[in-house]
Amino acid sequence: MRHTRDVHTLAGPYAMDAISPPDRARFDRHLARCEDCAREIAGLREATARLAAAAAVSPPPALKARVMAVAAATRQRPPGPEPEPALRTWPLRTWPLRTRPLRTWQGRPTPSRRLVMAAGAVAAAAAVAAAVVFGVSSGGMRDQLSQAQASSQQVAAVLTARDATMMTGAVRGGGTVTIVMSHSMRELVFTAAALHALPASRGYELWLIGPAGDRAVIMLPPARHGMTGPVVASGLRPGDHLALTAEPASGAAHPAGRPTTPMMLDVVL
Amino acid sequence: MTAIDRSDPDRARPSAAEPGAAADLTTYLRLVARGDADAFDTVYDQVAATVFGIVRRVVRDPAQSEEVTQDVLLEVWRNAAKFDPGRGSATAWVMTLAHRRAVDRVRSVQKESERERRTAVADVPFDEVAEAVESSLERERVRRCLGSLTELQRESVTLAYYGGYTYSQVASLLGVPGGTIKTRMRDALIRLRDCLGVAS
Repeated sequence: MRHTRDVHTLAGPYAMDAISPPDRARFDRHLARCEDCAREIAGLREATARLAAAAAVSPPPALKARVMAVAAATRQRPPGPEPEPALRTWPLRTWPLRTRPLRTWQGRPTPSRRLVMAAGAVAAAAAVAAAVVFGVSSGGMRDQLSQAQASSQQVAAVLTARDATMMTGAVRGGGTVTIVMSHSMRELVFTAAALHALPASRGYELWLIGPAGDRAVIMLPPARHGMTGPVVASGLRPGDHLALTAEPASGAAHPAGRPTTPMMLDVVL
Repeated sequence: MTAIDRSDPDRARPSAAEPGAAADLTTYLRLVARGDADAFDTVYDQVAATVFGIVRRVVRDPAQSEEVTQDVLLEVWRNAAKFDPGRGSATAWVMTLAHRRAVDRVRSVQKESERERRTAVADVPFDEVAEAVESSLERERVRRCLGSLTELQRESVTLAYYGGYTYSQVASLLGVPGGTIKTRMRDALIRLRDCLGVAS
């Protein structure tokens, strides 16, 4: 048991987060009982905020679109205290199935992506040959996913999942996407910002592509104020990629549930 | 209703350093708490550079800094209703979130790999001004106030706040007992607070 005065000397380190987790917890308990201390910390934090202001640097402009897109798909918390552990809701890099780091798919193609692109081309050829069969197997899935799209509860469930993982990246041809994924739920929420506008005859379509087969997830709804989605994709399987293509708006040209156009986005899930 | 004319595209968007900005940010945060995306757009414009700046100072890696900045701003969106103006300014609330997130990221990364980090004092002098967006006046004021500290106080604050070190790490970097560093940090912040003329 330490003396209160001893705890109080942690005010400076606490205000600058220069403190170990156990010490932070100890000081938090102290603050809850000591109003003067809370006031002092508030004052010190006004000072540290000024230190932050002196370090201001403009972030890359694309960041704003991403933040806005994810915010649009993120449920806000109600006022008042909550027992939820702070700042732990968006852990990054916890997706056990992912085989490469987040950033690689933004830059140059990796061998793995080229492989997938090649597979996509083969799939496209096959799709043309099998044009007639569309709707038999994937129609039901589409209905299901359209309903999922309407369910903001489902979106919220993924976003608040304990293992929610967020990825962001650029779309070939313009725009950024944000994906929040829950491994345990085998679901992801997809949103996009500033996708290149398509002619009325075409629309963006989302796909799951992997060893378990290629599945059309959903024809994305038209963008509103530059924002597309959120939409939910369910039934993720190990090894799946998420792909985005620009397909005929009718959706009738990819009977076998395979993309007919080059992938504008390919994310290893 | 509020005094904000939300149809006016030229509405003032003061930076965090200007007088009145804090009250303004508070007003916008209240709107954000009600799910107002336009208000969040404004909040982003007001705080993004400061958030990104301090995160980048601590984290260094630009890609990771962007990720952390995004997390912080989403945290602002999600938790806007939790902000209590009675317990400090909106700017301080956002910057506290930002700094803590940056520090959490650095420490979790450090756990993974014992990567070599030069000291913040040597690497990033407190008067670094590259790519600055904040008014040089504000920067100058902070620099002057940092300059009014004793050397030990200044090094403690710089290593802890800009470097993301714990006080015990600062103590061993500077070869000074931990108890001394704790006290110097508190003294330094009190002096900074008074020098910068912030309400306490």
